[in-house]
Amino acid sequence: MKTMILKKFIPGLTVTGSDASQEASGTAAVLFKKIWNQLQPVLLAFVGIGMFLLFWEGISVFLKREMPGPASTLSVLFSMLVNPFYDYGPNDKGIGLQLWYSMIRVAMGFGLATIFAIPIGMLLGASKLFYKMFDPIVQILKPVSPLAWFPIGLVAFQNSASATTFIIFVTSLWPTLINTAVGVASIPDDFKNVSKAFGFSRTKYVMKIMIPYALPHIITGLRLSIGVAWLVIVAGEMLSGGTGIGFFVWDSWNALSLEKVISAIIIIGVVGLILDRLFLSLGKLVTYK
Amino acid sequence: MENATDKLDINNTKVYHSALGIQIRDMTISFPTPAGTYVAVKNVNLNIKKGEIVSVIGHSGCGKSTILNAIAGMVKPSKGEVVVNYKTISAPGPDRGIVFQNYSLLPWLTVQKNIYEAVDSVFSSKSKTEKNEIVDYYLHKVGLYVHKNKLPQQISGGMKQRTAIARAFSINPSILLLDEPFGALDALTKTSLHEELTQLWASDEHKKTILMVTHDIEEAIYLSDKIVVMTNGPAATIGDVIEVNIPRPREKKSFVASPEYKAIRDKLLYLLMDAYAAA
Repeated sequence: MKTMILKKFIPGLTVTGSDASQEASGTAAVLFKKIWNQLQPVLLAFVGIGMFLLFWEGISVFLKREMPGPASTLSVLFSMLVNPFYDYGPNDKGIGLQLWYSMIRVAMGFGLATIFAIPIGMLLGASKLFYKMFDPIVQILKPVSPLAWFPIGLVAFQNSASATTFIIFVTSLWPTLINTAVGVASIPDDFKNVSKAFGFSRTKYVMKIMIPYALPHIITGLRLSIGVAWLVIVAGEMLSGGTGIGFFVWDSWNALSLEKVISAIIIIGVVGLILDRLFLSLGKLVTYK
Repeated sequence: MENATDKLDINNTKVYHSALGIQIRDMTISFPTPAGTYVAVKNVNLNIKKGEIVSVIGHSGCGKSTILNAIAGMVKPSKGEVVVNYKTISAPGPDRGIVFQNYSLLPWLTVQKNIYEAVDSVFSSKSKTEKNEIVDYYLHKVGLYVHKNKLPQQISGGMKQRTAIARAFSINPSILLLDEPFGALDALTKTSLHEELTQLWASDEHKKTILMVTHDIEEAIYLSDKIVVMTNGPAATIGDVIEVNIPRPREKKSFVASPEYKAIRDKLLYLLMDAYAAA
């Protein structure tokens, strides 16, 4: 009987053997376990989110609703997402449009950083001389807060939007550069010997050995860089003003709409997660054994 | 000087014999280490005739791989020289094909591409079709044609080493250097690869000089015309050179049963276990 029911719901399920009913109960248990294994992480995630929302609501009540609770925030978030691309002038643009401006800046700063970081990283990784020459500079500039670069950007470009792109560039440079250098420096002697033994040209060495070997490292660097870029953009746009998700957060704070600020935080988090996963799957694509 | 093709090096006034594939003259190789200079091999003299198969055998750390690397041009002698085709070796070159100990295939390239990149690098003036024909020829020779589009991680150890052998042969070097090529393979795969290697060598009219480093006595006797036995390192040198005068083609089963084989094996065992026993 159980088999019949199971068969009805699960196409392709077949039960063989003479003692079908006994087997069926076994199959049902296995099936239940399978579904449970699939469902369990999702359920647990929901439990976690539920607990978090409860905690948030508690804080909101504790602060006498000076901080909005989940219900009012989520309804504001929903209304923001329903019409994301409206443009009613400089201080009233849809969240989609603001995100778009931020994305463009991140793409430009990060893209430019990548163009510089990969070749320089390869050079530092391939040549001990270059490494010794420039590694100290890299090590000193790497930990500098992005905001410290802002005045330099302003002086160099004479406008705050370009200065924001500049700080994205200058901060997302390092992870890619360092990872590329580490990747290139760790090419095993075996591969170098192949290149020597068969007389690979410099181009062939770079294209067939250096880049393929370093690629997983480079992608990891890019993943870290895009994470940094996305962190920095919010701060940058708070300083520069005008447009973007960072400006939106600051503008919403000035308008005393904490619902919008929290909604923006959620959106920033989700977009950051998506960017991270994008580079993670790109990394998996180029990993070899 | 009976041979008309013998050449005289005017500058050094040394005679390079045309019948010799590899000449090692009074070679010493040492490496700097934090604890001081380490002498790997000392005063090595060895003449290998063209078309000969020679094995270098000895305990770990006897510098046998160092000798191979010096012929390959990967390591420079501190003293003395290696002469190949009238020239003192100073760098790797396409006249010497190498089969590395751990295959050293590029894992991101297919079997076909691994061989192609070597062919492309050495025969850069040939057309793409010609280069592909060379690659296909050797893929057929080692029976890997059907696996040509697989990545190294998708094939067995034996197939990987076949690819590496095909790669070394594909650049048509006059000298083939094999660094413990079959060490990681099981006995059956090893045996069939021995036969394939000798067939490849024979199909080329025995023109290639082959130098192999090994620690496998049976393998050394089966494949070689000459076996070079090293003394123990550091500062290892050639202890003995044993000729293997057993006619080819050699059939493995009857070969191993022959009294000549047993005599050479006993001698090698004596040398390695007693005369130059591991420290």
